Amino acid sequence: MMANPVSVQTLSKTWELSLYELHRTPQEAIMDSTEIAVSPRSLHSELMCPICLDMLKNTMTTKECLHRFCSECIVTALRAGNKECPTCRKKLVSKRSLRADPNFDALISKMYPSRDEYEAHQDKVLEQLSRLHNKEALNSSIEQGLRMQARHRAQRVRKLHPENENTTFSGGEDNGDTRSHVSHDSAPSHHTSAPASYAPEAGPSCSKKQQMSDDSGPEAFGESRTPPGQLPGHGLSSEIELIFCPHPLLVNNQQYSQTRYVKTTANATVDHLSKYLALRIALEESQSDTQGNRNMEGEPGAGNSSSSSLQDVSEKQFTIYISTARGQFSTLNGSLTLELVNEKFWKVCKPLELFYAPTQDQKQQQENQTPQLGQMDVI
Amino acid sequence: MASQNMDPAAAASTAALKGSETSTSVSKGSVTKRLQQELMTLMMSGDKGISAFPESDNLFKWIGTIDGAQGTVYEGLRYKLSLEFPSGYPYNAPRVKFVTACFHPNVDENGFICLDILKDKWSALYDVRSILLSIQSLLGEPNNDSPMNSAAAELWDDQEAFKAHLHAAYKK
Repeated sequence: MMANPVSVQTLSKTWELSLYELHRTPQEAIMDSTEIAVSPRSLHSELMCPICLDMLKNTMTTKECLHRFCSECIVTALRAGNKECPTCRKKLVSKRSLRADPNFDALISKMYPSRDEYEAHQDKVLEQLSRLHNKEALNSSIEQGLRMQARHRAQRVRKLHPENENTTFSGGEDNGDTRSHVSHDSAPSHHTSAPASYAPEAGPSCSKKQQMSDDSGPEAFGESRTPPGQLPGHGLSSEIELIFCPHPLLVNNQQYSQTRYVKTTANATVDHLSKYLALRIALEESQSDTQGNRNMEGEPGAGNSSSSSLQDVSEKQFTIYISTARGQFSTLNGSLTLELVNEKFWKVCKPLELFYAPTQDQKQQQENQTPQLGQMDVI
Repeated sequence: MASQNMDPAAAASTAALKGSETSTSVSKGSVTKRLQQELMTLMMSGDKGISAFPESDNLFKWIGTIDGAQGTVYEGLRYKLSLEFPSGYPYNAPRVKFVTACFHPNVDENGFICLDILKDKWSALYDVRSILLSIQSLLGEPNNDSPMNSAAAELWDDQEAFKAHLHAAYKK
């Protein structure tokens, strides 16, 4: 009686290996003190309850199919609906088909120590939003979410060594000597495992990491959904890692003193990178604004000025350079892909090093400075 | 079929909702929160061929659009749908119907859709996006064994004639 073009596929999911599982390469265990940067966004899908789309709370894991939900969510779902796993439709006879997962809860609280603050903020945003459901309100809430995301990213503990526990993830708060690591593990095909596993329908279901993506502008850096059918792991080879430093000659103040580590797809262009950078810096500025306000008034400021700066973000704000020889820098054309830059100028087998400097009002200055800087070839 | 949302659990949670907003399992806040999350995702994901947005200031009623998929007789046609979320969402399916009249074997003259995931195969993991994508794929792959519109089901095998009728009858 019912048309069911969708549910047929889900039945097979419980025993077939996903494409990700079939294609993933084995990883060696890390025995020394090597540190690995894991994108918080890639983790986010693992830590999210697919029912409330929030971070898992009192995690319950299904005993047979190992899918995780908030205790409250899964209990309500089983009471309200069919007695099956909401993710894969495996039969769940009763609450006894579930077990509490305190280890997972501990993992989350280790990674998100400021969860209460995070939730309080989320509630506030939603409350504001429910007052005004127009597009304007929505846009501003998205912006607030983005800024909040940036702040929380900065607070996340990344290293497992206890003595380093306060090392922050991204810049903005530690603009000093600490080299802050920002790994944007954003190759679209990189995280397919999680979405695929909790999507009982044809396409991967939405995951929170997309909503929380702080770089909605340049797609190459944002978290894009893998189209169904695209091979996971396929994009791994076309990733590129780069070290991104302020231009040593053009940037002489403390403004952008941090070195950034970026990982992205090789087909991203220099313009993408530039826009991404502008967005990051705008976010970090608004973040420190907000925190400044909060310290003074005990209230997170709305930051109107910063929200306008987020809208003004453009790839024109920063110019990207590559060092061609000692002390010589070449401007990179915005339409070049990073892959091409790598092949043409870098060649060596270590992360690509690029430099950035603000473009605004510097056009003329640059031209004046050109002789001093040596060959500033515009490529 | 339509009684899906009348089940005791939903009724219980609705009743509980009136008592206390914070301690119940399905508080209005958590439904709002989830709908808000979905809205954000939809806005950020930029899916081609589907869209949805709250109709007015009521977050519990959305208007969605679906573009007929390429390579199907529905290609080039855009359909408007209404989605109404019960207080038990996402544990209970939203009520989804076509606003634009849709000539399709599994859609009746009032726009009601016969799709299992909106009824007994509903899962809390479905969301607006997956619903719209499922309906989009249903357009191109109807279930003709148990049609709601038997004329459409009979005509389906003759794709040329179906398409001609579909496009002639299509009204925004």
